[in-house]
Amino acid sequence: MRLFRLLFYYEYLHFKASRGLLLLTGLLLAAGLYGIYYGTAEVARQRQHLAELPDLGRHQVAELQAKFPGPADAGEVGYYHQNYALHHPTAWAGLALGQRDVNPYYLKLRLLGLQGQLYASENVNPTKALSGNFDLAFVLVYLFPLLIIALGFNLLSSEREQGILPLLLAQPVSATQLVVAKLAFRLAVVLGLGVLLSAVGLAWARVPLDGRVGLWLALGGLYCLFWFGVVLLVTAWQRNSSFNAVALLGAWLTLVVLVPSLLSVYVAAARPVPQGLALTMQQREAIHGGWDQPKAETMRRFFAQYPQYRDTATIRERFVWRWYYAFQYLGDQSAAPLARAYAQGQAQRHALAQRLAWLSPALSAQLSFNALAGTDLPAHMAFQQSATRYHDALRAFYYPFLFKKVPFTHAEYARLPTHSFTSPSDTSAAWAGLGQLLLSTAAVYALGLALLRGRAVQSR
Amino acid sequence: MVRSIAHKEFLSTLRDRRFAVLSLLMLALLLAATLVGRRGYATLQAERALAQETVNEQFHHQPGRHPHRVAHYGTFAFRPRAALSFLDSGLDSFTGAVVYLEAHQQNSVNFSPAQQAGSLIRFGELSVAFVLQTLVPLLLIFLCFGAFTEEREAGTLRLLLSQGITLRQVAWGKIDGYGLAAALVVVPALGLASALLFSSEATAGSPDRWARLALFGLGYVVYFFVIIVGAVVVSARASQSRAALVTLLGCWMLGCLILPKATANLGAGLFPAITKAQLDAAVHEEAQHGINGHDPQDKRAAALKAALFKKYSVSDEKDLPMSVAGVTMAEGEAYSSRVYQQHFADLTRTYERQNALSTWASLLNPYQAIRPLSMGLAGSDFAHYVHFQQAAEAYRYQLVQHLNGLQASMGYGDKERRLDAATWRAIPVFTYQAPPLGWALPQLALPTLALLAWALALSWLGMRLVDRSTTG
Repeated sequence: MRLFRLLFYYEYLHFKASRGLLLLTGLLLAAGLYGIYYGTAEVARQRQHLAELPDLGRHQVAELQAKFPGPADAGEVGYYHQNYALHHPTAWAGLALGQRDVNPYYLKLRLLGLQGQLYASENVNPTKALSGNFDLAFVLVYLFPLLIIALGFNLLSSEREQGILPLLLAQPVSATQLVVAKLAFRLAVVLGLGVLLSAVGLAWARVPLDGRVGLWLALGGLYCLFWFGVVLLVTAWQRNSSFNAVALLGAWLTLVVLVPSLLSVYVAAARPVPQGLALTMQQREAIHGGWDQPKAETMRRFFAQYPQYRDTATIRERFVWRWYYAFQYLGDQSAAPLARAYAQGQAQRHALAQRLAWLSPALSAQLSFNALAGTDLPAHMAFQQSATRYHDALRAFYYPFLFKKVPFTHAEYARLPTHSFTSPSDTSAAWAGLGQLLLSTAAVYALGLALLRGRAVQSR
Repeated sequence: MVRSIAHKEFLSTLRDRRFAVLSLLMLALLLAATLVGRRGYATLQAERALAQETVNEQFHHQPGRHPHRVAHYGTFAFRPRAALSFLDSGLDSFTGAVVYLEAHQQNSVNFSPAQQAGSLIRFGELSVAFVLQTLVPLLLIFLCFGAFTEEREAGTLRLLLSQGITLRQVAWGKIDGYGLAAALVVVPALGLASALLFSSEATAGSPDRWARLALFGLGYVVYFFVIIVGAVVVSARASQSRAALVTLLGCWMLGCLILPKATANLGAGLFPAITKAQLDAAVHEEAQHGINGHDPQDKRAAALKAALFKKYSVSDEKDLPMSVAGVTMAEGEAYSSRVYQQHFADLTRTYERQNALSTWASLLNPYQAIRPLSMGLAGSDFAHYVHFQQAAEAYRYQLVQHLNGLQASMGYGDKERRLDAATWRAIPVFTYQAPPLGWALPQLALPTLALLAWALALSWLGMRLVDRSTTG
């Protein structure tokens, strides 16, 4: 143990004297702090926008009340009134923004057909979206391995190249002890930095202290451990420093860049989702066909699903709102199979990506961080489902006014249902990712240790 | 002498097993990326072309309807992908595929590939441009980092110089040789791309596409030249091969990974853009001060009606030769479109300001010069996307106004009547003509100049550094 402490201490002295490594560590610290700042600022901006939406709604209600001073036809109000479905971020979202910048975080819903409104996009600068988000998860997933590589590429080889290794091994210390002590020191530096940044990030984002904190730290820690395992594996190979550097960077390039970009192309080709375009077209056809169909036929189909309104007056007018909303609803119904297939296709696409994520620990880590933060596709799809239920609630609110011909008074605006949804943390997906990381880490250590045992350490 | 150095570097590169393996891998990736890109392009293109054809058919086969009903029925504009986007899909994953064109409002372009995928897509997608921009430079770094340091470490540099040539000539000879080796990797892929382009009958005859492809290739030649010269200069100045390699890899990470993301995020933070809800509310607010197409009680509508009465010296709507509702609708559409255009231009300007930081960073980072240049030439950059949005909006506007005109010409009591089904067949459908190269080039001036500036600066200042480096 004393020996270990001694070796550890010498590593510390070595690190302290190396200007390049200190600079790199400092740069990474700065990058991490910027990532925390950027991510939380972005989420704060989204929160600000979400907070302003009810004001826009109230402004519009005032406008409608001025337009319809007396009791109004509910159909008219429903046509103009914009309701907002809000997708609030979790406190974690600022640490791993995921897809929150490309998916809309609110939806403007009117009483019209839902399918025409559910897929609206938010204003997004595509150039910025292509460059991606500089958040804490990016720093951990992309940049931390680079620090680990810089710290570890000459773990034994520099001693060998400087001719110190034979002298060292002449002392009562085994090569394994030496490697373990050296790795332990570097691990302490990297994990210390990771924990420090995570602590700052968690505090800055005001994350509630629950089990997810442990999960986040475990994911980050295990991911770092994996990269140390890769360093161990390459060290056990016992080649020179240049070879080690190239091999480690090759591993980084393969696992962080190449494999995910290949998987991305593969997943898109293996699970195509052409239903998006199809359902939009189908819904429009069905809704606008509604104008040309006999009213009795439309109402018969509507009443089959809403028998409680069957006894309402037969429509003889040229236009009446309840008929209009009936065929809006039937339009949604006719696009429903396509909408389900579309949602299913997207979910399958994401599930396939998650299943294949073991091919790249970077992918496992990133997808798990995003799942924990509730910023990935499943969270957005859950929001869309919640918005669908909100639209159902709005219809349920308006239908009695429409079918029972109840006048819509000013007091009713305050009784309109409102919506708020906070993305759930998908902890089970994060646990699955942790499992994947655990397996790849175990595999790489087993291989590294076997290699280290199998070959006597060459001292020159 | 320079030529024989070039020849020697070329040959020894070919004989180096590591290089052979790496470059074969790179070549395989490039060829795969070309084929995969072509397939993805063809799938999306076919999907959108079929959809466009379907909605065009649907539009033409409408029954007899009132023109304002048709304006609400509207149509869709599907964004066709640019012919060269299979080489560089640029922003295509983050820009929408379809926009619904209807009366009274401008909708967002929806169903972008990024919205249909999980965050896997944010790791980037394998494409020819991705390999050329980020992976080939790595190969070049591995090829060049030892250019001088290895000669110095082996003591052969002094021998070379004793033959009476200068350090600069040695450098140019090596650049020449490495360039030739790099060409072996890149040229087959571009050859395949040309063949694929040539094999599709739609593209074969278009000089615009060939010009784009030629400039695309030329741009990458300059980019690789910059990387090779830069790596050789670093090698000449470095004390050891390891130091040269570490420096070059550090530059690669900074240039290809960290700077692009950091500048894009900084730009977005500095110039915040408004949300769609805010934009819509602002447009609505301002259009309200004009004529509301659906609200004949509005003051301006009344004024318009009064003006019509005066013009035709009548006192009853029935006696007017046109439908007042149609005229009011047309005026309202004109007004709200004008308001929308202003806000849309503001938003586009905000985005351009956000992106400007990245574009100016091209003076610091050749990667950020080739990236906009490449996607601009491939027709998949922001300018091309805005061009599509504007074309779709222009079509929407003229379609709706044509229908409003039809409504106006129906005269009083138009609401009770319909127009014949043949009317819709006479209306031209949406066709999108991608802008020509001449339109795209001026917008690519800054990245082009930055790339050329890098090439010149390295050839001149970089070589002066080589002159002054140590020989042994």
